[in-house]
Amino acid sequence: MIALPIVSEHEVGSRVADSPPARTGNPAALHGPDLVAQLLADQQQLTAVEQFSRTYDSQSPKARGELYRALLPAELKAGQQYAFEVDLDRCSGCKACVTACHTLNGLDENESFRSVGLLVGGSSALPVLQHVTAACHHCLEPACMIACPVNAYEKSPITGIVKHLDDQCFGCQYCTLACPYDVPKYHAGKGIVRKCDMCSSRLEVGEPPACVQACPHQAITITVTDVERIVADAETSHFLPGAPDPQITLPSTTYKSRRALPRNLLPADYFQTSAQHAHLPLVIMLVLTQLSVGAFTGGLLLKGLVDRRLVEALEPLLLVNALVFGLLALAASTMHLGRPQFAFRAVLGLRHSWLSREILAFGLFAKLAIVYAAAVWFQLGGLIDNGQALIDALGWAVAGSGFLGVFCSAMIYVFTQRECWSFTRVMVRFLLTGMLLGVGMIWFSILALELFAPSPQLAELVRRHGTVLCRAVMLSAALKLAWDAAIFRHLLVRRTTSLKRSAQLAVRQLSRVTLARYAAGFMGGLLMPALLLSHVSSVTDQSRPEFVVATAMLFLACLAGELLERYLFFAACASPRMPGTI
Amino acid sequence: MSTDQILPPPRSSLLPLLVDRHGPLTEELVLKPGQFGLGMLPGGIQPQGLTRSVCGFCSTGCGLDVYLRDGGAVGVAPSHGYPVNLGMACPKGWEALAVMQSPDRATTPLLKTASGARTPVDWDTALRMFVNRMKAIQKAHGPASIAYLSTGQIVTEEMALLGALAKFGMGMVHGDGNTRQCMATAVTAYKESFGFDAPPYTYADFEQSDVIVLVGSNLCIAHPILWQRVMRNPNSPRIIVLDPRRTETAMAATQHLAVYPKTDLTLLYGVAQLLIERDWVDRHFVAAHTEGFEDFAKFVADFTLDRVAAETRLPAEAIEQFAETIHQGNRVSFWWTMGVNQSHQGVRTAQAIINLALMTGNIGRPGTGANSVTGQANAMGSRLFSNTTNLLGGRDFTKSEHRNQVAEILDIDASCIPSEPSWPYHRIMEGILSRKIRGLWVVCTNPAHSWINQDQARDILSRLDFLVVQDIYHNTETAQMADLVFPAAGWGEKEGTFINSERRIGRVKKVAKAPGQALADFDICRLVADYWGCGDLFRRWSTPEAVFQDLKRLSAGQPCDFSGIADYDELDRRGGIQWPYPASGPDGSAPDDSTERRLFADGRFFRPNGRARFISDPPRPWPEQPNQRFPFILNTGRGSAAQWHTQTRTSKSAVLRKLYPAEAYVEINPHDARALNIVSGAWVMVISQRGYIRVRAFPTPTIQSGQVFIPMHYEVANRLTDAVFDPHSFQPAYKACAVRLEACR
Repeated sequence: MIALPIVSEHEVGSRVADSPPARTGNPAALHGPDLVAQLLADQQQLTAVEQFSRTYDSQSPKARGELYRALLPAELKAGQQYAFEVDLDRCSGCKACVTACHTLNGLDENESFRSVGLLVGGSSALPVLQHVTAACHHCLEPACMIACPVNAYEKSPITGIVKHLDDQCFGCQYCTLACPYDVPKYHAGKGIVRKCDMCSSRLEVGEPPACVQACPHQAITITVTDVERIVADAETSHFLPGAPDPQITLPSTTYKSRRALPRNLLPADYFQTSAQHAHLPLVIMLVLTQLSVGAFTGGLLLKGLVDRRLVEALEPLLLVNALVFGLLALAASTMHLGRPQFAFRAVLGLRHSWLSREILAFGLFAKLAIVYAAAVWFQLGGLIDNGQALIDALGWAVAGSGFLGVFCSAMIYVFTQRECWSFTRVMVRFLLTGMLLGVGMIWFSILALELFAPSPQLAELVRRHGTVLCRAVMLSAALKLAWDAAIFRHLLVRRTTSLKRSAQLAVRQLSRVTLARYAAGFMGGLLMPALLLSHVSSVTDQSRPEFVVATAMLFLACLAGELLERYLFFAACASPRMPGTI
Repeated sequence: MSTDQILPPPRSSLLPLLVDRHGPLTEELVLKPGQFGLGMLPGGIQPQGLTRSVCGFCSTGCGLDVYLRDGGAVGVAPSHGYPVNLGMACPKGWEALAVMQSPDRATTPLLKTASGARTPVDWDTALRMFVNRMKAIQKAHGPASIAYLSTGQIVTEEMALLGALAKFGMGMVHGDGNTRQCMATAVTAYKESFGFDAPPYTYADFEQSDVIVLVGSNLCIAHPILWQRVMRNPNSPRIIVLDPRRTETAMAATQHLAVYPKTDLTLLYGVAQLLIERDWVDRHFVAAHTEGFEDFAKFVADFTLDRVAAETRLPAEAIEQFAETIHQGNRVSFWWTMGVNQSHQGVRTAQAIINLALMTGNIGRPGTGANSVTGQANAMGSRLFSNTTNLLGGRDFTKSEHRNQVAEILDIDASCIPSEPSWPYHRIMEGILSRKIRGLWVVCTNPAHSWINQDQARDILSRLDFLVVQDIYHNTETAQMADLVFPAAGWGEKEGTFINSERRIGRVKKVAKAPGQALADFDICRLVADYWGCGDLFRRWSTPEAVFQDLKRLSAGQPCDFSGIADYDELDRRGGIQWPYPASGPDGSAPDDSTERRLFADGRFFRPNGRARFISDPPRPWPEQPNQRFPFILNTGRGSAAQWHTQTRTSKSAVLRKLYPAEAYVEINPHDARALNIVSGAWVMVISQRGYIRVRAFPTPTIQSGQVFIPMHYEVANRLTDAVFDPHSFQPAYKACAVRLEACR
């Protein structure tokens, strides 16, 4: 039996709150809630910490220098650069390098510039398991640097280290698409990308990078490597099994092993593909710029091919619509930037970055388009001699700059050298989108005019040319759907190619999006125009509900279909990467 | 340290916004020289002071530098001056502080209400509840009707207080620790063979061997810092790995013997027979320092090369090569871990390893030894001072002279000390089932995840009248079942010592505040003593360091004597001290104070006659052989170096989470996967007689056909395992049971 001292709630509370003095000489004299209060207060005391604090005399930086000498390279000569060298025979997969990089570089909660993948292969008789540590390869031709529109990357002419200038970055994330090794990582909270700089500030004072310091087995070292050797090695594609082709960027890292690695060595995540980031602002930007360029071009073609008198009823609204969508697209594109306030820096990369060029081309396109649409809307052509011809010329300049923009857009993706983003695949895709939505926009403008400002010319335009316009929609839609669906033939390929991965992503993880994309494309591009086709030739009253619904559905479903297609363009594009883990 | 601000260079006057090389974002990652020779460091962890603490994950016992600023810890990094890890750490060590800062920390006692919901209560209420419920159970069902489960993860001072409180103060008879799941086999093997639980080695032995034999140990992944020592060996040692899986360690070996599961004992006997047959025995050492060799030689005569090759499914030449390599080595060290310990015949397997070391004279010299690599940070402390199976200091509860010694040192009445040893863990579980035990106090362990045959284990725990869990997290699988949760302070939030695998006593320091009302296990025990009414008995247990002084006295005269250590400060100054470290040498001289010391250099073992004993038994097949319905053998074990046990801690660090698969997976041979139509990454059902689980498939040739492997860190793994125990150590055999796989459609 025990007798506990009774202490009121108030007393206990005040005890804790007042943080009593550190442990008394004889805490055993306390009992019950008093003892609880005393121990809780003691638990929060860290006075002993000072008593622990002391310097380690033996740990002078000089002593550490001795320790690290073997891990650091000699002087650099011309034609050489610093590089990571990984001895695969010493990499046991402990992954201390990843945590050390995180801690010693003061990175965010789940951020680290190093990762460790796994290669598995061999036979049951002689299986092979190989962990692979990887960071930035400080390439000879860094795709990140070439892609960057704001010159936020620098490759040191002396050390060869590829460094990212965090304050220069405006967060377009193009480098994250361009790097085949998935090295630069976007930090959404900060609106910029960050990456490994080989701990340059450590190297400057003779200290090895964090990962090199922290590898218990000294598997990672910094070496001086000849630029010529990097080029020569890339020729044989023997960078690392399961890694992207070294020809793309000429990575400087050397992976060495005394063992003969088996031919069937595959990354542990080889058969797994996960959906990629969809970049929604880019989805909107790409589809709407192409729509806009298509609509401007469509308007010009209409003027050239059919009776100008009939077109004049349609043209002003068509061009204004095209302009509005075009401007919407450009607004969406700035949403994609982590730090849109620095969008103007994009001019810096004009000499090397397709993104800079795209921004410039579409900037020009927008300005010309505004003038052109305004000129047509306010009928400025009649005010001066040859005014109409000047406006027509302006129109072709708009279309020309627009096509230039679309070309640059395509090249942004072609530059990454991903198979699913090959020149033909991307270019045909973008042009067909422009064609389909351009004609779709004509229909949408016709509908708007029919509802709010009907005119006999418009009715006649539809009567005489509606069939061709319907067929144009159906033709471009059929081409587009067939072109997009062509990727699925890669599902039949035995080898897990990157195109097969892309097709698998579309039919597995992204199957709902894929289904919606083809349903919308079929409805807007084939079904609705087929309905309209019977309609325009037989019925004269074009404001009938059937016409309204079919036309509206045609445009909206085509637009939705293309937006979904563009979503898949990003999300279902298998990206190259270093070997990953299970 | 230079305190000068790094000034940004002048900006271009024309285009001030166009190019920005040195703004605030750049500044965030700028490194500056740290004090104390720490090299370049980011601002967030720039220390004003530095101290060292031993890591609280595994038994390697790495020294971690704790960076101190404004009176608390701001970061950790491996210690350069510490003799264990030489400036390195595995990912867990790097994240030792990060895992403590989690919203899952228990911050107040939690009481389960009648509706099953948990409500926060104050310590006073919680402690009264604890005492009332436990005493009521004892009153109705006898003192032995309440028991406790201790751990290898808290400091020695705390586990000693817990054990003393439970048995001397609260009248409990039965208590065991989670060390039963990892080290019991090694303990029993050493006790029987050497006369005391004494791993004989020091880590320098890894660097001094010319042959290293690793049995059931994936050192690369389970003990990366010990693998570091192997990699530093300048003798290009031959490395022999016995493991059914081709692990990272097996990859790095010069010879990998992929034995058929659980035939390691047969293989070791076969090698002993080869050594005898070819007269490769150190007759002088055997005659001078061992006993039972003749009987052993007769026993292994049956293990002919043909028989062993057939049973282990290894080529005869590989077995011969193994024996030859041992013979050719001048300094052969044998190391084992869980592949041996967690077996239905683990003790005899460990002793078969000891036998090989003894018969070849590979013990007591640099680079030799029959060496058990321990699991938990303080498993070695628990083995000496948890007061569960052994009475404090490696003593025997049944011996009255031992009880009297302890009573005298601790100034208590000898009648307080029970005269019977505890039931081992599995008997406690059986005791709950048979209603002999009705109240259980679980400290810093997670049986609802880790105990073998999990569904049954949870069913057993759910039958308790009163389950108390003391843990740093409120949401461990076991804490969620508890009637009462005590919030504990964890690593870095309290004082004490750990004993590592090589018997090195190292210091753990309080450098951070515990969240909310969490208290050190030491203080919780003191409170329980006070509320129980036995506070007077524990008056001398006032602080961890006071207890350390008593532990020294308890160790004096035992093989583990460390009475020569002055105090905590000496431990700190000397980079930890290995036991034995008596106050004086045998002839009154000063004790050997070398940093790295091994046992048995004089060939004298701790048995009464000073001789080590050869012990052997015929191998037995494990109970649940693969069969037509369950054709695969399931092996479980460590998944990655970034995962620890039941993941209560390692799942709390975002960086560690990046380093291992989030979902449970099963390794299967690609041939078997094809036959079952299982593709990489697909969901599969793994079914045993006890349960079924859904996991991802990872086909890999590193696992042999007919076998599968699931890492133990995932909660589901133990739903499949079969509750089979070694008959001598009662350690659960996690490494073999029969399962079936089905592809999920």
